[in-house]
Amino acid sequence: MRAILALVAIAAVPTAAMCQRWERQVEERVQRAINAVGTSSRLPVVKRSGMLNTDEAASFQTTLVQGVSYAIIALCDDDCARLQLTLVSASGSDIAKERNSESFPTLHFTAPTTAVYGIRVVMEGCRWNPCWYAIAVVPLGKIPS
Amino acid sequence: MASLKRWVAVGLTACFVLALAYLPPRGAESSGKSPFVSQSLWGTPARQHAQALADEWRKVDATVRLIEDRQRVRRDSLRASPTIVFRGATLPPNSVHNVETVMDSVWRDLGLGETKVRVTLVIELQRPYASADNPTPLQDRLAYLAPDSTHRTTCVAYLPAGSYWTLVILGKRDARHEGFGRFAQWLQAGLGPCAFYAAYGTPGRPVQSWLAARSWDVGLYLGAHGIAGERFSSLTLVGDPRFPWYWDGVYSFPPATVACLAGRPSGCRAAVLAGAAEERTIPIPNIVLVERRWWRAQHLLPGERYLGDIARTVGRDRFLSFWTSGQPVDTALAAALKRPVGEWTADWERGFVRPIRLGPMPPLGSAVIAWVIAVVALTVVAVTASRRQVR
Repeated sequence: MRAILALVAIAAVPTAAMCQRWERQVEERVQRAINAVGTSSRLPVVKRSGMLNTDEAASFQTTLVQGVSYAIIALCDDDCARLQLTLVSASGSDIAKERNSESFPTLHFTAPTTAVYGIRVVMEGCRWNPCWYAIAVVPLGKIPS
Repeated sequence: MASLKRWVAVGLTACFVLALAYLPPRGAESSGKSPFVSQSLWGTPARQHAQALADEWRKVDATVRLIEDRQRVRRDSLRASPTIVFRGATLPPNSVHNVETVMDSVWRDLGLGETKVRVTLVIELQRPYASADNPTPLQDRLAYLAPDSTHRTTCVAYLPAGSYWTLVILGKRDARHEGFGRFAQWLQAGLGPCAFYAAYGTPGRPVQSWLAARSWDVGLYLGAHGIAGERFSSLTLVGDPRFPWYWDGVYSFPPATVACLAGRPSGCRAAVLAGAAEERTIPIPNIVLVERRWWRAQHLLPGERYLGDIARTVGRDRFLSFWTSGQPVDTALAAALKRPVGEWTADWERGFVRPIRLGPMPPLGSAVIAWVIAVVALTVVAVTASRRQVR
């Protein structure tokens, strides 16, 4: 029995400890943010996370559904001072940009058409490189037309 | 007649032995100096070419192995200190445990715990021999694989153990009696730039470019003691000012380095900011290869501890603001030091060496003799002139 418990403990430890403190920090924060925003939509919440040095950028694409209102949340770890979040159209032009909320920029957007949109995050200030960040695209629900 | 022949034979043999000892080997190039001055020997062009090729191969081989190690190494998630990998021999578990214990203590001494950039230390144990099928890898130079955009949180340090430390690690030489502290010192020095990456993360672009331009000569050692002992630094290797070769050593450094040794703030500033004006593209993979005689390639003496001393002096927050700054190096460094870079560095230099005196300085004996001769000559001229009479 002891041996089984030991094996279970050893198997369980890496999942908690494999990722670093800062990675866990942003994962917990983004989960709290998603819970706080709340979602009534059956559409899935899209999440991305990673790490960046100061002045580096990362982007990814996601499909936003016509008429659905979205909250796009970005956040980062304790060492991060400023994060910029931009929503980009399929043609590459900026639709909305948030850079005033320091380490917790948020955008609200209702997609006029169902299309692939780009989301870009720029690490504008990181005191101890690299800084971990996470982005969540939370569907809030369909806006009645 | 027989006696004369014997003497001729002895003379010819002696000439042959002398020729063998002093003449360069066939195909060797002359250093271009007078034949009456002793010449340093160079290998044949073919041998030099082979050695250069072998050197290049070892560098590329070390780079490839570091990249492989970075991808292959599985971290022990419960240990905050560096993951240690041994190459060249299979170690018994107790030897591995002993080295890990010393490394844990080194890590604590550096004030490090869990860090954003983690370090993997690859220790290359001395191989007994090399064959044509198994060529000798890089065994006399330290190499570092810095984090890049593909692996932002791993820094790999490559540390050749040489024969002495290989025996210590294998337990064939007792480290407790023959330098247990020295072993810790060796491990600490071997962390090199990776210690800075662990402590302060990836530097901002200006600092990274500056350090790359000067092969990290000011960031080779994070520890508070000397790089190879309590007070041992690259200045120790220059020698003692009492010996004439000390000055040959001093003047082999760039003018700014020498001026800084003389305590001149402008020289210190130039020595610190060497390479700061270059806008370098950081290559991927970002390999830092330390020269065999790294102390000869320094722009500042003892440069290996310069950034470590700044970090201890200004504190973590101010050092981090310099380290990650997007401003030019001189601006960011002066802001962190709260003083002009040259002045601070000149004071720091004085902590290691009394400012040397530059310019021509004749020996005291020669100066006294010259003065005596001059005074005698002037007196004779004056006396002669005073006794001259016009008739």
